[in-house]
Amino acid sequence: MEIELVEIRDFLAQRPPFDVLPEEQLNQLPKILDIRYLRRGSDFPPPESDQSYIYILRSGAVELLDEEDKLVEKLGEGGVYTTDCQLIDFGRAIRGISTEDTLLYQLPCSHLKVLRQSEPAFDRHFSESIRDRLKQAVRTLQDNGENSSLAQMTVEVSHLLKKAPITIGTNSTIRQAAQLMSEKNVSSVMLMSGDRLAGMITDRDLRKRCVAAGLSPEEPVSAIMTTDLETVQENTLAIQALMTMTRLHVHHLPVMRDAQVVGMLSATDLARHQTTNSAFLATDVRKAETLQDLANVSARLPELQFQLANSSATALHIGEAISSITDSLTVRLIEMAEAELGPAPVPYVWMCGGSQARGEQTSHSDQDNALLISDQMKPEHVAYFETLAKRVTDGLNACNFVYCPGDAMASNDKWRQTLSAWRKYFNTWINKPDPMSLMLSSIFFDLRPVHGDKELFLELQSEILDKTRGNGIFTAFMAANALQHRPPLGFFRTFVLIHDGAHDDTFDIKHRGIVPITDIARVFALSQGLKPVNTTERLLAAAETSILSREMGENLVDALEFIASMRINHQAEQIRKGIQPDNYLAPDELSDLERRHLKDAFRVIQDMQETLESRYQGGRFR
Amino acid sequence: MLQRFLSQESLRKRALNKVNQGALHDYLSTPLTSKKVECEELVIVSLDLETTGLDPKRDKILSYGLVEIRHMMVKLETSRHQLIAIDEEIPEESAVIHHITDDQAATGIPLEEALPELLERLAGKVMLVHYSAIEQNFINAACKKIYGAPFVIPIIDTLVLARQLFERRNHTIQAGNLRLFNLRPRYNLPNYKAHNALSDALATAELFLAMASEMFPQPSKCQLSRFLTR
Repeated sequence: MEIELVEIRDFLAQRPPFDVLPEEQLNQLPKILDIRYLRRGSDFPPPESDQSYIYILRSGAVELLDEEDKLVEKLGEGGVYTTDCQLIDFGRAIRGISTEDTLLYQLPCSHLKVLRQSEPAFDRHFSESIRDRLKQAVRTLQDNGENSSLAQMTVEVSHLLKKAPITIGTNSTIRQAAQLMSEKNVSSVMLMSGDRLAGMITDRDLRKRCVAAGLSPEEPVSAIMTTDLETVQENTLAIQALMTMTRLHVHHLPVMRDAQVVGMLSATDLARHQTTNSAFLATDVRKAETLQDLANVSARLPELQFQLANSSATALHIGEAISSITDSLTVRLIEMAEAELGPAPVPYVWMCGGSQARGEQTSHSDQDNALLISDQMKPEHVAYFETLAKRVTDGLNACNFVYCPGDAMASNDKWRQTLSAWRKYFNTWINKPDPMSLMLSSIFFDLRPVHGDKELFLELQSEILDKTRGNGIFTAFMAANALQHRPPLGFFRTFVLIHDGAHDDTFDIKHRGIVPITDIARVFALSQGLKPVNTTERLLAAAETSILSREMGENLVDALEFIASMRINHQAEQIRKGIQPDNYLAPDELSDLERRHLKDAFRVIQDMQETLESRYQGGRFR
Repeated sequence: MLQRFLSQESLRKRALNKVNQGALHDYLSTPLTSKKVECEELVIVSLDLETTGLDPKRDKILSYGLVEIRHMMVKLETSRHQLIAIDEEIPEESAVIHHITDDQAATGIPLEEALPELLERLAGKVMLVHYSAIEQNFINAACKKIYGAPFVIPIIDTLVLARQLFERRNHTIQAGNLRLFNLRPRYNLPNYKAHNALSDALATAELFLAMASEMFPQPSKCQLSRFLTR
């Protein structure tokens, strides 16, 4: 059958929400539309309508404004306006104006209703709350991750083989076989009878069947070899090989091309392939002897971040994984310094601040840290801690956690102080907040002990929280600070839309997406005297108090997870391309759906910021 | 020559006297749209024909596409596309333009069957075309041949309107300037890839809406007389 109006059908088929309609519905849809033309500067929606419609922009642009004529949203080609069908899409917008000559399709609300009733997927587009959509978006991100994690294990084992097969004849002696294994630095060797694979021995066989059994090493190797070998073909998938190993409780599998041996697959090969697992990296950190060793480990952090981003890991877990490795690096650096300088003369605790403390680091974060020293410190101890701090901060810098641009580091005399001195700092910051202290708040109001006397830290922390809990003036200052970074309104074509109507080619997803939520969570945590430092934990804890509704708390958690995932994916792509990862996202790297979800996440932040603003201005904050 | 001095209404009555029955008789029995009707009240039929050539005496109509404008909105529910069967092969030079193959044309209906429906759709309405010579002359020729009387209708021609708009702004008109698909981008109208009678009729209808909104920033001042070609 010939499809009339195919241009219009195809246009709709590409765009949400119509993209989920089945073929048949789509083919009929154009016949139901009316087309209008709005010259630039016309009122939108067109005032002289006989009934209510949804509007779809075919070309042109429309700006939606609130009662103060502030821009709320800008629709471009493919933009859909459903407000007149009693659907809330652009919240505070009360009027619109076409800013370009605009061609509109209009669809009666009555027909929209019919479509919604007949197509659940289409209906979901309108019925879902921001909350449901964000939850779904976060879930989808994680599902996709699991698939690609599986994809990593669907590589053929032939790609994992590093060496040509190491073989020796069955008539060789045990000693000869052991010598060959040492020479080649392998833990197993395959035994050949002519061209045929007859058996194999491993380190364990040498230990158990030869040495422990008191067998002479001059005996033929066939005396201790394992026969009836399980093998895999070279085109076997890694995941299947792993399952075979697990089932047989073996760590080695000969790899064959038909009857011919092509290599040996070890459990280590598989594990190494699976991930640059954070557990492996942490082990390597503990084993490191020199600064160079540590730098080598931290050089693998971008790869870890990349692999985690491609696996099922959430942004929350990736932040935790990277931060925990930074913790290990810091501890190892302190141990190495102490080994040289001797033990500390008085108790102290090394604290990290900022993203490391919150467990939200990425592989290219800078370092924020401080030293809290017991009040027993004497003037002659100053030099010890100064040297210690310098060693560790230099070490972290060498490990790619670059010096803090604001010098918020233990190497700065100011941030290497006794408990009484820190107490004084916090007293001033809390009782007489000023712009400087607010600037430092994102570092020093997010503190966590990494190494040393944790009691010392806990004492300081409980004193801080006692002072901030229920402190109206301080909270008001922090709340005002949390309104500094505003999320974008949304996207328009290849631009990012900002509040004053300005356009940008890219946006800083960290400062416009993540920082606002971190700041909001800090306000709640401090004003309620909550101990968690991680943003998600802070929000969940705050949602248990009267300051934050559970729904809003969950929305913020989901918004953060989605935004942070977009950032991690953006950086993973840059790492893959070998460019230095950054926080600048361009709208054209985003799919329609990602734009929509990001806009939902921004909306959650905007709503929270507005609530904060009105509460704070009303002076009702307690 | 006489026709130029007669009103369309009297031309309609003269033609009506020549036919006693049939589709053209019914068509001509309906009064034409008055020139004074406001745009908001107009019913306009945007029409496009695909033909085997440019000569109405020799060439044939292969298809027509139409869509109505009411209340200055294109009503897609009124859209119609009809292929017309002809008893000869489609010349290759025209097939390049309209992409209608002989096989497709064979699925059409004869002009004798298609014309009554087309006339019914046009009765009492205004015809909108881009370059009126083709549609007017081909339908006129068909009416004369089949019914023995001429075809009369008020016509809006977007090509004529475009020329007037160019001249009013003292723009020099270059080759191709006035073609439908070169005019559309000036009004920020999308580029349609498909080229058939219906999509051209739709493209013309959208162009007319754009031109009308340019000519009449206040829609209440807009009336048919301002658009008529003659």
